[in-house]
Amino acid sequence: MKLISWNWFWYVLVGFLMGGGAVMIWHILKNFKLKPVWFEWILLILCFITFMFMSQTFIASFQEYEPQAAWLSLVFMGIPILLMAVVVFRSLNKRYLKNKGIV
Amino acid sequence: MAKSNAKDPLSGGRRDFMKKLGLGVGAVGFGAAAYASGFKNLDKLMESPIAERNLPFWVKEVDEPTVEIDWENMEIFHGPENTLFNPASWENPNDYKEIYDRNIASTKKNVQDNVPGLSLKDRALADANCWGWGGRSGADLAPPWTGSDVKANAQWEHPTMFYTPEDYGVPKHEATPEENSKMLRTAGRIMGAADMGFVKLDERTKKLLWGKITFEDVEKGYAEPEKNKYVLPNKDLWAVCSLVPQSLWMQQYSERMSWASSNTMSYSRANIYGNRLSVFLRGLGYQAYGGDTESVGRLVGFGVMAGLGEYGRAGILVSPKYGTDIRTVMVTITDLPLAVTKPIDAGITKFCETCKKCGEMCPSGAISMEDKPFWGGGAAYQAKGIRGWYMDAKKCYTYMLGGEPDCSRCQTVCPFTKFDDAVIHDLIKLSIGSAPALNSAIRNMDDIFGYGKEPDLNETPWDLDPMDIPLYGLDKSRS
Repeated sequence: MKLISWNWFWYVLVGFLMGGGAVMIWHILKNFKLKPVWFEWILLILCFITFMFMSQTFIASFQEYEPQAAWLSLVFMGIPILLMAVVVFRSLNKRYLKNKGIV
Repeated sequence: MAKSNAKDPLSGGRRDFMKKLGLGVGAVGFGAAAYASGFKNLDKLMESPIAERNLPFWVKEVDEPTVEIDWENMEIFHGPENTLFNPASWENPNDYKEIYDRNIASTKKNVQDNVPGLSLKDRALADANCWGWGGRSGADLAPPWTGSDVKANAQWEHPTMFYTPEDYGVPKHEATPEENSKMLRTAGRIMGAADMGFVKLDERTKKLLWGKITFEDVEKGYAEPEKNKYVLPNKDLWAVCSLVPQSLWMQQYSERMSWASSNTMSYSRANIYGNRLSVFLRGLGYQAYGGDTESVGRLVGFGVMAGLGEYGRAGILVSPKYGTDIRTVMVTITDLPLAVTKPIDAGITKFCETCKKCGEMCPSGAISMEDKPFWGGGAAYQAKGIRGWYMDAKKCYTYMLGGEPDCSRCQTVCPFTKFDDAVIHDLIKLSIGSAPALNSAIRNMDDIFGYGKEPDLNETPWDLDPMDIPLYGLDKSRS
């Protein structure tokens, strides 16, 4: 059914995923009483920007009939996102445990 | 409960909320990923797998039309003279003359009063877009491209069925060169040009015209095709260079019918466009020479000088936006004063030094693989005076027309030939233009990401849902 363009659906989906992710992070930070330091904020923002960019490349590559480019964009941009997320998590976790006196 | 739990992040309320939120987001993400993994095109989710006529969901097919018809008493019209706007069907056909005369008078008055939307340039554009509509065009469309019965420069003489400023009783259009350029760009987009550039004819750029075109001290140029003589007036002239792209979507199914269809349709559009542009310029009160794709001069040369692209390895124009997937540069000579556009540097020629993808993919080996551009030429179709790469046209044509499938691999595989959907292409082009050290890596990534692969001939346009096909075959994202 091409009389309606469904491109919007995928971008709305990405919007929900990013919105859900942001709410989740906000809840975690609030509930665990964690305040990210400057580099953690930078990495978090970079994560979101890269995720947004990756999603756009993924969706648009399918629109361009380039499925290989779509899947590889997940790999090439998804790995940096995961690495940045792991760095932020470990840093926050270390500080949380330290505050609690566990380590 | 809420108050006490608020202090404990792991207690019921918030934990449940987070759990549901996480599950929800995860389910949506998993669903999208699972779905996407099984489909080549995300739009397929919303489509019927059967390539039938797909109507919007709010439209249903019915056995009888919604207008009531009495087929028993249906009157048969004799012909088009019965139709609504044909005065022959009116009770008093003379009424038409009165209406027509009134229309001519009001049209003239509107042009004379320069009424917005009904001014001289608006009328010129309307006349231009009439070209090709039966009766309004002074010349039939050129014959289909067969390579045998097209007369060279057949369109030097232009259609004459249009109105001029004299017809309206007004002076010719007058504006600054900048305003004229803007006006032409607007009209060009409406008439079919993807992009436009303007070159002033001087001692240098006149060398891009065909050698058989000469200049004389005459008010208007003329042609004597039987003597192969084409004359331009000795006055200030500009070349209007219009980029006519072709369908990348159809090129993707290249090496078969689609290539030829995309190619020929683009030439056809180019000729229609060229004649419209001529009508438009004449409707403004100015001269126009050159109405078909090769009637004036060297298309790549004018395209480069007009800043529509750069000279590429395959010896063809490479546009920053359309790559090599362009069919032609329509060149029209006019005396309408225009603000010239300069050549561009988007790092394209530099990128060609390291890329070589067109040369590697060329099945006929016609494209030069030298690292650096060189002063060459020598064959009749290879002009000296250009430091570039040279295509062996004989090899190319021998492959294309020698019983092998048609080919446009050099255009399809060029890393600049991309759709516009993904933002990443602009970033890559930004890098090529500003950081040539990354060119080699970009070329490798282009391969790894699968761009310019051999087409999958198991799927041709005939297999697609017709509603998937862009109107006129033009690409939805590259307008």
